[in-house]
Amino acid sequence: MCFKNLPIEFDAQGNASLKPGVANPYSYIETPAPTPIEDDPERMKELFARNGAVRRVDFDPVTRVAGALAFHTVVDLENRQVMETASMATLFRGYEIILKGRDPRDAIFISSRACGVCGGVHATASALACEMAFGIKPPPMGVVGRNLLLSTEYLYDHPIHLSLLAGPDFSEAAVRETNPEIWERARNTKTQGAAVHGYELMSELMTDLTPLTGKLYLEGLYYTRLAREAYVLIGGKYPHPQTVVPGGVSTTIDASDLNEISLRVMKYFDYGRKTAAIWDDLAEFFYEVNPKYRDIGTRPANMIEPGQWDDPYAYDGTYENCDAWGRERWAPPGVVVDGELRTTSLQMLNAGVEEFVEHAFYEEWTGNGDEYYRHKTDPAGNPLSPWHPWNKETIPKPEATSWKEKYSWSTAPRWDRMAMETGAYSRIWVAAQTGPQAYRNCPYIESTGHSVKINLPKADLPNTEIEWTIPETWGAFERNRARAYCILYTAAIAWDNLQLARDLLKKGGPDARMSTPYEMPKDHRIGVGLWGAGRGYLTHHLEMDNGVLENYQILTPSTWMASPKDPFGNPGPYEEAVMATPLLENYEKPEDFKGIDVLRAIRSFDPCMPCTTHLHMDGRTISREIVSCACGSDGDDHDH
Amino acid sequence: MRVLVCGVGYRFLRDNALGIHITDTLGPEASNGVEFEDLGYHPVGFTQNLNERPDYDRIVFVGAVDRKREPGTITAYKYDHVLPDIKEVHERIADSVTGSISLDNLVIVSEAFKALPEDVWVVEIQPGDETWGEGFSEAVESKLPEITETVWNLTRL
Repeated sequence: MCFKNLPIEFDAQGNASLKPGVANPYSYIETPAPTPIEDDPERMKELFARNGAVRRVDFDPVTRVAGALAFHTVVDLENRQVMETASMATLFRGYEIILKGRDPRDAIFISSRACGVCGGVHATASALACEMAFGIKPPPMGVVGRNLLLSTEYLYDHPIHLSLLAGPDFSEAAVRETNPEIWERARNTKTQGAAVHGYELMSELMTDLTPLTGKLYLEGLYYTRLAREAYVLIGGKYPHPQTVVPGGVSTTIDASDLNEISLRVMKYFDYGRKTAAIWDDLAEFFYEVNPKYRDIGTRPANMIEPGQWDDPYAYDGTYENCDAWGRERWAPPGVVVDGELRTTSLQMLNAGVEEFVEHAFYEEWTGNGDEYYRHKTDPAGNPLSPWHPWNKETIPKPEATSWKEKYSWSTAPRWDRMAMETGAYSRIWVAAQTGPQAYRNCPYIESTGHSVKINLPKADLPNTEIEWTIPETWGAFERNRARAYCILYTAAIAWDNLQLARDLLKKGGPDARMSTPYEMPKDHRIGVGLWGAGRGYLTHHLEMDNGVLENYQILTPSTWMASPKDPFGNPGPYEEAVMATPLLENYEKPEDFKGIDVLRAIRSFDPCMPCTTHLHMDGRTISREIVSCACGSDGDDHDH
Repeated sequence: MRVLVCGVGYRFLRDNALGIHITDTLGPEASNGVEFEDLGYHPVGFTQNLNERPDYDRIVFVGAVDRKREPGTITAYKYDHVLPDIKEVHERIADSVTGSISLDNLVIVSEAFKALPEDVWVVEIQPGDETWGEGFSEAVESKLPEITETVWNLTRL
């Protein structure tokens, strides 16, 4: 059974339809959110009387998450529990409004600006949506070019998160400050992966995770550079490529370009092995110190993954065939519920998506599932909800923040009315579960049904097979560990695509062209780009008529994960993960509490708030207010 | 003599696009060792790019920065190379690699990675309108000749 909560059933041939005889089938009765503790004076009084260690702790802003996220908690510092959470995307992203009335091709370049980390994936998702709407597909080399762009973008993205954003939470400075007893233990604990990463002691490894001075931090920066260098050989610019177009890539690739890219991708063979070993050691060390570290950021393994890296011969850009070409992707699509693969159908993945706004600063646009809405089915005839992105209207409605009512600029996306997370880890998780025959064969990757084995050519380190196995428990450490393995996983796919590109160059002819000519349709069309970002799920849904966009909806990974509560009473993934997080930090007085475990939980999702929300609201911008003027004195003629 | 003028900003945020406008309009007229560059991307990438180039004698950063002054106020100053504490530098690097476009981040991160020459100038304008869209506010529009002249003057060593 694909759906348990949506009113969709399947016939013997697997065709989906609405359950018969249900009036207004998608409508629902809202479950009121629980009353926030601070809005309940009696409860506050009782809690304070009980132990005095219950307090509101707000992380505003959450740093090292790319922008505008605030996180509200009520914690019981005596019992080391989180009692209440609310995830608050603090800025509005207006791209859906900006793009209305524009040429659909503008969306490729404008939507790229939704993010300063992963603009390339927005450009590609937008190009895919255009292709579907225009009825075109790129030549094989155009698809391979896009695959290489995606690979190098991920090879840029994952080191950023692991070295610069999440890594510092496990550095000497952070651990000494929050758990000095763990630091002492690290000084006497040998690592397991010394032969790969070169660190004999855990303390040495943690020291090198230290921001600005640590070798691993600086090495991460270096690898972001290598990946960008490779990216721009095809994309022209990064993070906002200039060559991503409907129908392929508007540049040429020659053998020299491929060599330049290969030289850089090869360097990730060892870096990927090393990074995996580092995050293996970090996870196992913390679990050994205290098994409760497995519970940091834990929640059910519910994941959504559109899949990425199209097969150049299978991809045809149509919605009707997207199940087939989706399953041929190097990373296959899938939805995982409670750790089990529920579907690999892109159509079912798409049909199951809804966005709710009961706790977000938007107006509801359907009248709770009224009979009339634009798209009752997708182009393949599958039922769609009134809250599906193709039916969504973005109607901002700023108002005062209330933890019980509205408190975020993120909507609450749900699949089959369940909160889903997504990321590099959902990519490798689905790849592991789909098994060896379910997706495009790659000579460097083997899926076993419960793991992914990666076997790349030797670089400097010995050519050992690396295996990522679906973990028994799911939480912050496992998210980071899986992301670390995804560096090597990505490098393997990049390497495969580089060889394919060489073969196409050698073969020449129409398949070696980079893009296909087309004419802009003027009639009514819809399309969707089902793609991924470094941090997971990314879709762009468009509707066009008379050559301009009538509706454009971007759904990003961090919208899924930073989401507020839904109308069914379910928290968003960050909220749920932090609620389950034990407070293992070492503090004697409440004033000493730093919240490191909460932050580790949130950052493990690799939040990227510019995608989730963006740009402006009441005069606030994503640029931080200046806190250091840095004015000069020599020849200074400034006026303040 | 090599001078680099870095325009910092975001193209679709009205006055915030000032730096990019400067590079767009003055860049084609530059010669004799003066270069203009769109720095609407992250500072770590910029510092890595700088390390690949011959040294500049002077770098000029230009952009709109909200410091609660009268809209259109132009401020030019020589950078003193004083960094904030290491924690803040790290936070600014994290901001930078995650996509924030900010003149302050650009200057501080470039300095932290020792990418800047001794002679660095900052030219700012107080924005009047940084909401979504193209075209400047009246306050900034009226100061375009003045800020253009300020930038040209700083390209002359």
